[in-house]
Amino acid sequence: MRLNKSVIRIFLSLFCFWSSPFLFGQNEQEKFVLSGSVVEKFTGEPLLGVNILILSQENGTFTNEKGVFSIELQKGPYQVRFSALGYGTVQKEIFLERNMTLNIVLERTAENLEKVVIEENVERQKIDEPQMSVSTLTSETIKQVPAVLGEVDVIKSLLLLPEITNTGEGSSGFNVRGGSAGQNLVLLDDARLYSVSHLFGFFSIFNPEAVESVKLYSGGIPPRFGGRISSVLKIDQKEGNKEEFKGSGGIGVVSSRLLLEGPIIEDKMSFLVAGRSSYAHLFLPLFGLDNTAYFYDVNTKLSYELDENNNLSFSGYFGRDVFEIEGSFRNDFGNTALSVHWEHEYSENLVGNFSAAYSRYDYGLDLAFVGFVFDSGIEDFSLKYDFQKEFSNDFAIRYGLGTIYYQFNPGKIEPSSDSSGINPQKLTDKYALEGAVFAEANWDINENISVLGGLRFSAFNRLGQDYLNTYENGNPIIFNENLGIYQKAEPTGQITYDRSESISLFSTLEPRISLAYQLNSKSSIKIGYQRMAQYTHLISNTSAPTPFDVYAPSGKYIEPQLSDQISLGYFRNFEGFSFSAETYYKNTQNLLDYIPGADLIANNAIEQVLLSGEARSYGLELLFRKTTGNLQGWISYTLSKSEQRTPGRNPAEPGINNGEWYNSPWDKTHDISVTGTYRLSDKWTFGANFIFQTGQPATFPNGQYELGGLVVPVFGARNSSRLTAYHRLDISATLTPNRNEGRSWQGEWVFGIYNVYNRMNAASISFGQNEDTFENEALKLSIFGIIPSVTYNFNF
Amino acid sequence: MKIFKYLLLVSILLFTSCEEVVMPDLETTEPRLVIEAVMEKEIFDNGFGYRSYVRLTLTAPYFANQVPVVENATVSVTDENGQVYEFLYDENGYYYPANPIIIENNLEYTLKIVYENQVYTTVQNLAETVPLLYVEQNNDGGFSNDVIELKAFFEDPLGEENYYLYAGLSQKGNLFDAINDEFFDGNQIFVFFSLDELEAGDEVLFRLMGIDREAYNYYFSLLLQTEAPAGPFETQPATIRGNIVNQDQPENFPFGYFRISEVSVLSYTVE
Repeated sequence: MRLNKSVIRIFLSLFCFWSSPFLFGQNEQEKFVLSGSVVEKFTGEPLLGVNILILSQENGTFTNEKGVFSIELQKGPYQVRFSALGYGTVQKEIFLERNMTLNIVLERTAENLEKVVIEENVERQKIDEPQMSVSTLTSETIKQVPAVLGEVDVIKSLLLLPEITNTGEGSSGFNVRGGSAGQNLVLLDDARLYSVSHLFGFFSIFNPEAVESVKLYSGGIPPRFGGRISSVLKIDQKEGNKEEFKGSGGIGVVSSRLLLEGPIIEDKMSFLVAGRSSYAHLFLPLFGLDNTAYFYDVNTKLSYELDENNNLSFSGYFGRDVFEIEGSFRNDFGNTALSVHWEHEYSENLVGNFSAAYSRYDYGLDLAFVGFVFDSGIEDFSLKYDFQKEFSNDFAIRYGLGTIYYQFNPGKIEPSSDSSGINPQKLTDKYALEGAVFAEANWDINENISVLGGLRFSAFNRLGQDYLNTYENGNPIIFNENLGIYQKAEPTGQITYDRSESISLFSTLEPRISLAYQLNSKSSIKIGYQRMAQYTHLISNTSAPTPFDVYAPSGKYIEPQLSDQISLGYFRNFEGFSFSAETYYKNTQNLLDYIPGADLIANNAIEQVLLSGEARSYGLELLFRKTTGNLQGWISYTLSKSEQRTPGRNPAEPGINNGEWYNSPWDKTHDISVTGTYRLSDKWTFGANFIFQTGQPATFPNGQYELGGLVVPVFGARNSSRLTAYHRLDISATLTPNRNEGRSWQGEWVFGIYNVYNRMNAASISFGQNEDTFENEALKLSIFGIIPSVTYNFNF
Repeated sequence: MKIFKYLLLVSILLFTSCEEVVMPDLETTEPRLVIEAVMEKEIFDNGFGYRSYVRLTLTAPYFANQVPVVENATVSVTDENGQVYEFLYDENGYYYPANPIIIENNLEYTLKIVYENQVYTTVQNLAETVPLLYVEQNNDGGFSNDVIELKAFFEDPLGEENYYLYAGLSQKGNLFDAINDEFFDGNQIFVFFSLDELEAGDEVLFRLMGIDREAYNYYFSLLLQTEAPAGPFETQPATIRGNIVNQDQPENFPFGYFRISEVSVLSYTVE
């Protein structure tokens, strides 16, 4: 009951904040800024969402994700109360006659409750802020969502939210508002990640132990982000505990994880190291198999508070997948990401953020039975600096610039032994420099209207490389009208450019704006528009990306992708509930498509198989969320359409699919998720998910023919059929034993059942000949039937 | 490089996937003419063997047990010198030349088919191949290390673009591949044959057929459509058009291909 009361209080104070006359600035009296930070006593971690209440004023604010708050007040005496659910309350009396800083330490009062309050403010709707189309999940929520094989999964949890989907169980990547997987910007702290999947998509690469929160922007994307046109997935790693040495971890069916954190210099510097690894491969030798298949990842973070005005952090991520069939096949791939972030407070209301990052994705394949080794990858170095300046409580700006240097390695082939018949070959490396300047403002125009808007100017310089093919009329792909097929054009020559030369230069002005109109203290309407540009392209001709897909830069033959999106939403908070309804329309230009039979792997002239098309998507997303109480969770429903087309370049050409619109592989008309957790007692917590989705688009044959011993299917319009509807129910129960009380080792057992009623959902339907009867048949592939699991989690 | 299948194999093996035969409702399009036109010059130890045939069928509903055959077409091949070879209907859609065609290098051959008052034609040349030399057997291949793998070696000519159509034929099943020498130009390399069911005593026939670049693109695309796994890594299904043109109604194009290949054959009994 205490819980509910506190929650209501937070609600009330939030609304009070908005109805306060203070905001109108009627008074001419001198104003000062009261700012500071709130940290947790034992961990030293910044506390988010602490309620700061100015008692005499019925006025207040909250701390942000860095535990920092700031409020402008008139000169005078105040009583300031700091409170957060699950923490003791601290009250301070101050006399404000100049700008003042308060650093507050809050102590935990009851175990486990603090997590709730953090979620409270992060995950619920912020009706007053113009930012829309953003979804946040905390590590705690992610851990409560029942998962296949008990493997808690960041991306799979996000799939339960309205705007995000994928191409089915066990597929890699994710799709936001109809966009392809290669259109998502994934940032781990400040570094870009190029692949988000382990085991070809069965698990995502983020160790939930090391993740503080994930935030997905699908619309109204702030100008400080750019480079990908569909979404921004921002994953913040946890900061190490600055007060004492702590650990946590879990032992699961597929993988186990361990996190260690603690102070290096008490109160000043902390470290965090988290590791996760699968271990099924350890048992393969027991079956006499010299094969192996495993993944692992390591997350690290070093946080250093130099002084009151300077915070420094270093983050590192290293993840890898390895598959090996003894003596004949080895495949390994993964991301490496390193970043440094320096936050400097110039003054009370001017903060500078510097970040530098290095990111690399590489893919290696050793096909010993064919006799070659193949390596490919992409690397980038980025620098970014921005300023956050707060002029008043009503007006703040953020501006800055950033640059990224890319190096693309489309592949290198080498013979793996002396007896190999393979010739060494290096596909031409490509280089590019991307830059952007941006400025955004967050302005509360009046009591009801606030706006977040700005401009991003991005530019992309494709730098010189060796051996760039030239073609007659600059056309690398020709249409053979006689045969009715696209063919690769014969290069007329090759140009080698100096590294410092520019082959092509692109630039885009990307306006972004979101506007919130507050109808009353509990509801608001928001509208947003964004234009985004993407200069690097994931070259992938499959429904979901594969580990060996390469990125290619825009240049002479590939134009940047551009997308425009408008979104409109209604947001409402009830006591303990929030509701949102959003609609959007998104249009994408210069989307790459591939001619039939295009060979994308180790292709040194990829331009010979590319055509340019467009995509459009639109939808309605409803989210009803309960964020307090013993029962928490949400219901989401999405009605959407996502399609693309690639018309011929002139009337004589058919383009792809005869130039007609066709469904994206991830187009699902209806998508419903219900997810909930119920806390029965201190001992037991239960969770459940139910998911229903329209079956994925598929292309079924509408005929067959025989040719030289082959049975060839005849396909009609692309993606014009559908698999059967997808649905399943997952449940979990978490047992926290009583004996945890009063000891440092805290353990819990999570029992889960994925797909409780064992629905054999179709992941695909493939058409082929039966091996015995040689008759044609359709085979439905189901990936996960009912799967029970047990996981043990611990903290110490 | 078609490495999709290996990767999918690995990923599927790890999980509790299951397959089930289903019968989705399928539409059926209008029947379309399918032309399988082949002229082959087979390399023997002491000379060459020649074989030519044209098989005419129609497309059928996907679940039909057989495809309709075309018996009443007029089929002929005319060489560059004006020599006409008439083809006669035999059975099961097959037409054979009344007189054997001794295929000559660098001579153009024009295929002409008249079916339902429409004329289908195309022109082709012989594409050369190289001899298959020997077969190597490995008994511990595959994921479970107990699958028999066969490699049949050949010597790729140096300094020229070569394309091959490969067929490995056995009682246990057949394998096909379209190969180009981009990554092994001028080297000794192999074609690969492996089936889970393969065992000692089985006979495998390796056929290495010369094709040109256009035919390579055709067979590469065609094999992608017939072999690629469904699911997340599936390639986009497409209509694969061949090299034969309907002169009267181009939009009513036929499926199929006309190729003239030199062929090298090697037979191997699994030990």
